Amino acid sequence: MSEELRVSPIETRGVAGKKRYAMVVDTRRCIGCMACQVACKAEYDTPLGVNRTWVPYKVVGTYPTVKKHFLPRLCNHCDDPPCVRNCPVEATYKVEDGGFVLQRYERCIGCRSCMAACPYNARFMLPAHRTYTQITNVVDKCTFCFHRVTQGMVPACVQTCVGRSRVFGDLNDPTSEVSYLVTRNATQVLRPEEGTKPHVFYIGADRNATEFGRDAYRKPEVMELERAAFKRHLNI
Amino acid sequence: MGDYVWFHDVSWHATYATYFFVIGIVAGLSFLSYGSWITPALRPLREKAAYGSIVLLAVGGLLLIADLSQPLRFLNILNPAYLHFTSPLAWGALNIVAFGIVSVLYVLSLLKKDETPRTRLLATVAALLALGLPVYTGYDLTVHQSRPVWNTPIMPVLFVALAITSGTAVGSLLAAGNEAARKVLHSYLLWSTAAVGVILISILGTTNYGGAASELTFMILTTGTMGLIFVGAGMLAGTAAPVALLLAPAGRQQAGLMLSALLVLVGSAALRYALLMGPQQLQTLY
Amino acid sequence: MEMPKVTRRTFLKVSAGTTAAVAAAPRVLKAMEVDLGGKDFSPVNLVERKAVPINCHVCNIQDGAIAYMENGRVVKLEGNPEHVSTRGRLCAKGNSGMWYSYDPDRILYPLKRVGARGEGKWKRITWDEALTEIAQKLDAALKEDPNTIMLKWGRNRAGGTLERFMKTLGSATVLNHTSVCESSKKIGMEPTWGPDIETPDFANTKYVLNFGSNILEAAYFHNPLSQRITEGRVDNNMKIVTFDVRLSNTAGFSDEWIPIFPATDGAVALAMGHVILRENLQDSEFINDWTNVTVEELKKHYEQYTPEWAAKISGVPAATIERIAREFATTKPATLFTYRGPCKHLYGSYNEKACMMLPIMTGNVETRGGYCLPRGMGWPQPQPEPPKAKHGSYLADHPDYPLAGHKVAQLVPFWIADGKQKINVYFTYQDNPVYTNPGSVDVWGKMFRDEKLIPYYVSMSPFMGEETALADIILPDCPYLERWEPESMPNSLWPWLGIRQPVHAPLGEARENRILLRDIIHKLDPDGSRGMKKYWNFKDGEDYMRHHFDSVPGLKEAGGLDFLKKHGCWPIYGKLNPATGKVSDKTGREIKAEYGLYRKELSEADMAGAVIEKNGTITKNGKAIGVKRNGRNYVGFPTGNRLINVRVDEWAEYGFNPMPTFKRIPWHEAMKDDEMILTTFKLNVHKQSRTAAVKWLAEIAHSNPAWINAQTAAKLGVKTGDLVRVESKVGYLVTKAYVLEGVHPRVVAIPTGFGHWEYGRLATLRLKDKPGYGGQDDPDLNNVWWDDRGVHPNRVIPVVADPIGGSQGWYDTVVKVTKAGPSDKYGDTQGDWQKHYEAYKETLRYAYTGDLHRKMHPEMASWGGPESVKPKAGGGH
Ligand SMILES: Nc1nc2c(c(=O)[nH]1)N[C@H]1C(S)=C(S)[C@@H](COP(=O)(O)OP(=O)(O)OC[C@H]3O[C@@H](n4cnc5c(=O)[nH]c(N)nc54)[C@H](O)[C@@H]3O)O[C@H]1N2
Ligand SMILES: Nc1nc2c(c(=O)[nH]1)N[C@H]1C(S)=C(S)[C@@H](COP(=O)(O)OP(=O)(O)OC[C@H]3O[C@@H](n4cnc5c(=O)[nH]c(N)nc54)[C@H](O)[C@@H]3O)O[C@H]1N2
Ligand code: SF4
Ligand code: SF4
Ligand code: SF4
Ligand code: SF4
Ligand code: SF4
Ligand SMILES: [Mo]
Repeated sequence: MSEELRVSPIETRGVAGKKRYAMVVDTRRCIGCMACQVACKAEYDTPLGVNRTWVPYKVVGTYPTVKKHFLPRLCNHCDDPPCVRNCPVEATYKVEDGGFVLQRYERCIGCRSCMAACPYNARFMLPAHRTYTQITNVVDKCTFCFHRVTQGMVPACVQTCVGRSRVFGDLNDPTSEVSYLVTRNATQVLRPEEGTKPHVFYIGADRNATEFGRDAYRKPEVMELERAAFKRHLNI
Repeated sequence: MGDYVWFHDVSWHATYATYFFVIGIVAGLSFLSYGSWITPALRPLREKAAYGSIVLLAVGGLLLIADLSQPLRFLNILNPAYLHFTSPLAWGALNIVAFGIVSVLYVLSLLKKDETPRTRLLATVAALLALGLPVYTGYDLTVHQSRPVWNTPIMPVLFVALAITSGTAVGSLLAAGNEAARKVLHSYLLWSTAAVGVILISILGTTNYGGAASELTFMILTTGTMGLIFVGAGMLAGTAAPVALLLAPAGRQQAGLMLSALLVLVGSAALRYALLMGPQQLQTLY
Repeated sequence: MEMPKVTRRTFLKVSAGTTAAVAAAPRVLKAMEVDLGGKDFSPVNLVERKAVPINCHVCNIQDGAIAYMENGRVVKLEGNPEHVSTRGRLCAKGNSGMWYSYDPDRILYPLKRVGARGEGKWKRITWDEALTEIAQKLDAALKEDPNTIMLKWGRNRAGGTLERFMKTLGSATVLNHTSVCESSKKIGMEPTWGPDIETPDFANTKYVLNFGSNILEAAYFHNPLSQRITEGRVDNNMKIVTFDVRLSNTAGFSDEWIPIFPATDGAVALAMGHVILRENLQDSEFINDWTNVTVEELKKHYEQYTPEWAAKISGVPAATIERIAREFATTKPATLFTYRGPCKHLYGSYNEKACMMLPIMTGNVETRGGYCLPRGMGWPQPQPEPPKAKHGSYLADHPDYPLAGHKVAQLVPFWIADGKQKINVYFTYQDNPVYTNPGSVDVWGKMFRDEKLIPYYVSMSPFMGEETALADIILPDCPYLERWEPESMPNSLWPWLGIRQPVHAPLGEARENRILLRDIIHKLDPDGSRGMKKYWNFKDGEDYMRHHFDSVPGLKEAGGLDFLKKHGCWPIYGKLNPATGKVSDKTGREIKAEYGLYRKELSEADMAGAVIEKNGTITKNGKAIGVKRNGRNYVGFPTGNRLINVRVDEWAEYGFNPMPTFKRIPWHEAMKDDEMILTTFKLNVHKQSRTAAVKWLAEIAHSNPAWINAQTAAKLGVKTGDLVRVESKVGYLVTKAYVLEGVHPRVVAIPTGFGHWEYGRLATLRLKDKPGYGGQDDPDLNNVWWDDRGVHPNRVIPVVADPIGGSQGWYDTVVKVTKAGPSDKYGDTQGDWQKHYEAYKETLRYAYTGDLHRKMHPEMASWGGPESVKPKAGGGH
């Protein structure tokens, strides 16, 4: 959504004097190393079974013409976030200057409306056990590393990105690298039809990874074998 | 194992569906109790329905709270400083509370055998607020623009219809012995269930011819276990069968009505479950 | 905790995610630049975390890193932005390294075996008891023969102390894991151009030929080189072509994945050379000036290697071979990279040699964007140093493998069983052969269980690995975050020195290896009368580092060890530029590497007293120090004659072909249609046997189904998830199938690093048990959701030794894959010492002393036979 028409007052893309942070994920550079996912886990002491970011991949083609496509995923920090709209107590909210979509852990009642509202599975319920962080049993999500960015540091996943596939910056600043990348490359966002105005932009993303494929219905057995085990995690 | 895949949970589980079911009956019953002020035939149901609805309201309320990961914080919803009016849940909460208060007052005056217009007014207000319950629960799903089936304007209407069917069904079980009441309840049940059927068909149609996500959701809803629950229990056993039965002479008999009522209850429970869970499945794979 | 002072950049005073956060968010300055690292803050209370520069050692790539501490605990690891190779980034493993330290099952005090070996019954003892017992055993062994004391390490980054320890004891029985690692790659390269590895200039190249390296997941040097590959690919429009038997992430990323039949890379590389020479695309000047052969000789030699010949062997179409050869030769600059794919086979050294010929004949050596020599740095050893052991060791310098400079450790158990050398005391350090070697339990497990073969067995390890579980005594060593160690790795084009320093005191009673070795020696020689103590006079790890670093020229001026403690590495070439992710100099331009090292000119001083022979070789007191080429005195390459030896005469002495060649593996040629080849490989998120207990990595990958090509699977009637039986001549295993398009139809590929039967509760999924050896439990382990720990493949892999390089032929195993039978259970594995022993006898037949050697080398008919050479002790490093 490079040249976007703003419809909702909550949107700050292109609003003068406001920052609108965004991430560009250049899938041509993603090597699927998972460093981002683990760095994020470390940064937040994220428990097992849930992730703020993840890097699924698909093997496409027929032997010997086969390719592997990675699609790093995280919260899109939507400019018009349905999760925020749906929270009955404003426990999830959008930071106007910057566009971060954050949580108020102490206020969240755990109704999971925000999870239902998010088209991207970016939100999850924190389990009761964590290594050293006290916040539990409330919904959590990627914060765009608010605490780092406000200290002048890139997000943890961007910091460690081995392929330099993830680039972060202010899209309202025409001189920023993200602005440059979004302007110079054909970019794509996930499920644009949902009107969420995602602010994670993909370069060279493969349709096999961005769309609901038939295998969303005819699920790969690979997935189901693991899923069976994963489901038990809900009773943990 | 092989490919790296990451899994996601559905947001809302069976408890929430049960809540929908219960709260639907609550609404339906208070319609009946109100109806008894207009249609004398329903008079015998007035108290039973009112008491039933308030008891089930308590049950529903507890279900709702228990489903929160922070049950003790449920009061946050009512905290004016937090209240967020773009969320159907916020409205819902207010609606439930208001309905609760009015119902209590209504039941109190019923207990006092008070037949004055004041009580009738309370019944009317209660019924209007009761209408809000299925409307908000339906709307609670409708607002999720990314979920096929949920995201149809007809959801609140469907939930109102379901509230009437399940409420009437319970009413029928309570009052089937009464000839006059049975006549009225029979037509309520028949037409509301028929309405549900029509709505379901239009939903399936639009879903089947929708975009990729809708198509896949249609497949999920109509095949496998989910298909058994939605089509089998919900549409055939719980909607088509009772309608047929109610149209048949047997349906006018006490036994026939009670059987249809039971079928309708099973059906509306199954439908709530399938309509809540089905459209969530697909996205867990995204 | 005190609040951080609000910096110019801080929007807010209070913790993220509170009401005040929005309220207090002011309009901050435009164009706020965001740094690429160097600081870290708690997300909960914004307190800045204490930073300690270290050197990553989750795997062996040696990236510079920073450990961030909160309440005395390492909570975050990050790449060191001042490190020229690492540039602030760590891989998934590096990011989770703190779990080595905080592994709930870590061993935190000395343990003594009670009950039978491997029974798992331990008694906690004091350090003094442990040291006393070990000293007694050593004492007895020394009286008999120092060489009966054996030390085998896997990963050794101690910077000399282990060697020092063994020299102090006077034993030459020192082994390592290099022969199961990549040794034949090293042996393919060393005699040819000196170093044991190349540094491809990925960032600046236009074309990459990758033979069997999975650089984007593993290889040397995964993180630093992957960074340069993505740069080259996107910023520099390079093309990358990968030859692999399966779709590794590297193959999946490449512009072309060319599936190849196992072990045939050499043939393809030779055929490409044939095309290049036939079409005159070679760099004749470079060949004539800088190698020990002429273009004519080379053309003549390569005539035999036609694309059609290679196509038949490798399954790679001749047209493809010709196309890639032309592309490679006509695109400049171009580079080549290999790792274990080509070299882990019976004749791996030949394969490696054949591959490295391509950049050589096209003159891409030491050019910008080309195939460069590794850049490293050294440091002095504390004085005095103990002398080399008096007598060589049969196990360490085996006469049948004189060219195997990195030893042939996978054969050691058989040699010991054959009584070739008596062992009294066996030390293990960071080496888990019971899991990581061919035959695993059936070979190494059997040896360690046999108290006649190994009377006394000491493991120096923080973890209950499969090998440690069999020890008599366990000395709780320190994981890398608690160690002092000197570092240097040629993991980019810029040489550097680095340091590993403890982020906090060793947990529990753990002791750093150099300290515990010292303590052993001091026990053995309390008053110095045995002349051992004098080599071990240092206060602590830091003191030892001072001996290494305080006298290194340049670093000394910069502050020596203190500089390293502060920065983690030296020199610092520039600043990490947030806009580019590259290192910039003061002018903001990217720093430039040095190229053409072999063209460095000799100084006046160097030339003083040197003689120039007519072939240009410059010698000084009997030793070649350079080459004269068109009027200039160059240093040349670090080989005996300062040239690239395309013809390795030393090989000919032992009846091996000195020129680039290829040998088809006999048992591959004889394969039946229903037989396949078993390949095992590494995943991006695991490190050999040692990361299975790292929760974040285990969550990503915890099981290892067998990759089977879709067509093959259809023939076998298996689909993903079905159980299959993989049977070789030495054993079988039962595992799940993972059916996909991305693997050669004749190959079944199983990732290594899974199926542990030891290594703690997470690796074995025995989470009900309590931490056993003083470790602290992690509440998060309650969230473990997976129930599959995978299947270990090594029992079904027989030993194969490259007669030249000595390397294990990991990827040569012929197997039969079938749908599992009713009696087969997931996870069944079975091997057999006797069958492994036969495999060992079989592989000896290929050694230069074996009966098949001549048969394999008809072209060497004129060779005088084994008798014509007196065995030399292996050199290498
Ligand atoms: N993540 C991770 N990184 C690591 C390590 C680790 O354990 N984990 N270990 C480090 C160590 S010690 C080493 S030695 C390196 C090893 O690094 P690599 O050698 O890059 O990795 P391997 O998986 O050993 O083998 C590389 C590839 O060889 C392929 N292969 C097998 N047979 C053939 C063949 O005949 N021809 C060709 N062309 N390819 C073939 C395999 O499919 C595999 O993809 O990695 C280092 N880095
Ligand atoms: N099938 C198959 N097998 C393979 C490979 C393959 O590709 N396929 N790869 C081979 C390769 S390339 C290599 S290099 C070898 C590696 O083989 P090894 O060097 O044996 O493997 P590691 O897993 O590095 O050794 C780990 C052991 O060291 C100890 N350890 C771990 N951390 C520490 C520490 O911090 N301090 C101390 N003192 N000890 C520690 C633990 O006891 C653990 O058991 O594996 C080989 N094995
Ligand atoms: S760290 Fe970067 S390259 Fe690696 S998986 Fe994540 S996005 Fe891809
Ligand atoms: S991605 Fe989901 S969670 Fe993130 S802002 Fe958008 S809707 Fe909300
Ligand atoms: S779960 Fe928490 S954040 Fe999400 S909608 Fe409910 S209260 Fe808001
Ligand atoms: S931005 Fe921060 S929170 Fe979001 S995925 Fe990256 S590291 Fe995790
Ligand atoms: S590659 Fe990863 S694990 Fe290995 S040293 Fe580098 S960061 Fe550490
Ligand atoms: Mo290795």
